[in-house]
Amino acid sequence: MRIGLDNIIQTQVIDYRIPKNTNIFYTLGFLAVVAYGIQVVTGILLLIYYVPHPDHAFGSVQDIMTKVPYGWLFREMHAVGSNLMITVVMLHMVTVFLMGNYKRPRELTWLGGGLILIITIIFGLSGYLLPWTQLSYWATTIVTSMPTAFPVIGEPISQILRGGDHVTATTLSRFFALHVAILPPIFLALMGVHLFLINRIGISATPFGKIDEEKRPLTEYKRKTYPDGYPYYPTFFQKQMYMMMAYLAVMFFIMTFLPTLFFPSEANIPADPFKTPHAIKPAWYLLAPYQLLRLIPNKFFGIMIQLILIVVFLLWPFLDIQKEKNVLKRPVLRGVFLFLLVMWVVLLFWGRT
Amino acid sequence: MKYLILGGMLLFLFPLTVYADYQQDFENEFLTKPWAGVQVEENVCISCHSSEQMKPEFRTIPEEWQASWHAQNNVSCEHCHGGDSKDAALAMSPQRGFLGSPQYKDVPQFCGKCHIAILTNFLESGHGKALMAGKKAPNCVVCHGSHNIRKAGIDIISVQLCTKCHSYERAKVMKQALFLTETRIGELGKKLEELKHEGVYPETDEQSLFSTQAEFRALFHTVDVNLVKDRTGEFTAKLDLIDKNIQNTYSLLKFRKNFSTLLMLTFAGMGFVIFLMTQKKDE
Repeated sequence: MRIGLDNIIQTQVIDYRIPKNTNIFYTLGFLAVVAYGIQVVTGILLLIYYVPHPDHAFGSVQDIMTKVPYGWLFREMHAVGSNLMITVVMLHMVTVFLMGNYKRPRELTWLGGGLILIITIIFGLSGYLLPWTQLSYWATTIVTSMPTAFPVIGEPISQILRGGDHVTATTLSRFFALHVAILPPIFLALMGVHLFLINRIGISATPFGKIDEEKRPLTEYKRKTYPDGYPYYPTFFQKQMYMMMAYLAVMFFIMTFLPTLFFPSEANIPADPFKTPHAIKPAWYLLAPYQLLRLIPNKFFGIMIQLILIVVFLLWPFLDIQKEKNVLKRPVLRGVFLFLLVMWVVLLFWGRT
Repeated sequence: MKYLILGGMLLFLFPLTVYADYQQDFENEFLTKPWAGVQVEENVCISCHSSEQMKPEFRTIPEEWQASWHAQNNVSCEHCHGGDSKDAALAMSPQRGFLGSPQYKDVPQFCGKCHIAILTNFLESGHGKALMAGKKAPNCVVCHGSHNIRKAGIDIISVQLCTKCHSYERAKVMKQALFLTETRIGELGKKLEELKHEGVYPETDEQSLFSTQAEFRALFHTVDVNLVKDRTGEFTAKLDLIDKNIQNTYSLLKFRKNFSTLLMLTFAGMGFVIFLMTQKKDE
C-alpha cells in the first residue's frame, strides 16, 4: 500500500500490452534473466564449499561432487547452465538483430545487450579456471595468451590477467574475485539499464506482419505502447513460463544423457602445469576467435580483425541507418549475416578438431 | 554520428597497417608457445643428441625416449643420467651429478634409484644373483629396453624374449600365475578411467590400484612362481576392495542419472501443460 505495489502490478503486468505479432523469440530475454538467476543460486551454493587455492580447488570441487548432499546437482547445473546461458544470450542477440529491433530509438538497448553478452562470456571464462582441472588450466593458458598478439599493451594485459608469466595461484585468486565479486555488480548494473530502457522505450514489434510503426521520425520521446495488443498476463507470461520449463528440461537432458558434452576427460583431472595435454582448446564460445587467430598468419591482424568486429557489433545500430527493419527485404545485410554465421560455425567446428 | 564512428575506426586501423610488418618475430614466438600446438623441449641433452654433430648411434636416443613410457610420465634424461639439462656447458659435469651410462652389471642399481622394491626383489632372484656373480644373466634393459621403454605388462614374458637365454617352460608357468591378477588390474584401471569420464575423480582408488600393481609387479621380479602364487590372495583382496568402491560409485552415478531424468521429465511435463494452456487461450 505504502509503495503502491498494487499499482505497479496493475500497470506493469495486468494492463501491460504487447504487440500481437510477437513470436516465441521474444521470450529469450526473459530466459536469459532466468538463466542468470539459476547461475546466482547454484553459484552461491558452490561458493559455500569451494576453496580458491590450487592445492584445494580441485579437491573442494570433488568434495562438492561426492560428499556435499546434492552438491553434484548444483555443480552440474552451474556448469551446464553457464554454457546454456551464453547460448541463450547469443540467440537473443541474433533474433533481435534479425528482427531489426536494435534500430532507433533502441540503439542503447542493443549496446547494453552487447555488453551483457561480453560480460557473460567473461563470466564463463573466469569460472572455467576455478575447478583447477587440466582442461580449465590449459584453456585459461590459451585464452590469457591471446591478448599477447596485440603489440605493446598485449603482454601487460596478459600479465595482469595471470598475475605473472604463467597461470598460477594468483591467476586463480584474480579469476575467482572477477567471477564472484567484480562481474556480478557490473552485470546487474548493465541488466538494470537494459531493462529500464526496454520499459522506458517500450518493446519493439516484429517487422513481419501488419504492425510496423517505427518508421515515424524521432523528434521527441514517446513510450511505445500497444493498446490493442495482447495482455502481458497471462498470454505472454505463459509463453515465458513454458520456455523456462523447456530451458530447465534441456539443462537436465544434457546432465542426464550428454554428461560429457561440457566435461571431457581433462575436466576431471587435476591441473598439472608441467604436463601439456595433447589437444588444448578453449571453451566452445571462444573456439571461433581462437581458430581465426591460429589461421591468420599475422597474429596482430588476427586480433585486430576480431576487435574491429566486436566494435562494429556493439555499434551496429549507429552504423545501420536504413529504416527497413525486415531483414528479408535487405539481401546484402542478410548475405553478410549468413556469411558471418557460417564462418563462425565452421571456425567453431574446425577449432574442435 | 555514422561518419564519426567510421572515422574513429579508420584511425584505429591506421596504426595496424604500419605496425603489421614488425610482427613476424612476435608471431614466431607466439607460435612456439605450448598452447599454439607446438611444444618446445628446452632440454640441452635432447638438442645436442639430435644434432648432426652427434654420432649416428646416439642420435636416435631422443626419438626413442619421446615415444617411451618415461617421457609420457615426465621422466627426463637427467632423472636417470644426472647432469644439468638446462646448461649446455655443464650438462655432463660430474659436479652437476652426471652419471653417464652404467656398465651392464650396474644397470639394476641405475634403474633401482627409482624402482626400489623391484631392485630388492630382482637382486634376490635367480636373474639378479647370476648377474651379480658375473654370470650370463639379463639386466633390466634386456626385457624392458633402455630409452624406448614401454609400459610394463605381462606381454613382456614371451617366447621370443625368454628363449634368448633359456627355455620358455618356467616363464610360461609364471605368466599363467600372473595372468588373472594382471588382467583384473587392467580391467579395474579401465573402470577408473571410465569413472573419470563420468565426472568422478577416484583418486584414492587410483592410488590404491597403482600401489597394488607396483607391489605385485615388484614381487614378480623375484621370478619365484610359488611366492607369486602364495601371495596372490593378498592382492586379490586389495583388488576386491577397489572393485567394491567402483561398484558403489557406479550405483551413485545411476541414482544421479535417475534423479536428473526425473527432473527433466517434470520440467518437460510442466512446460507441455503450460503450452497447452496457451494454445487453449489462443483459440
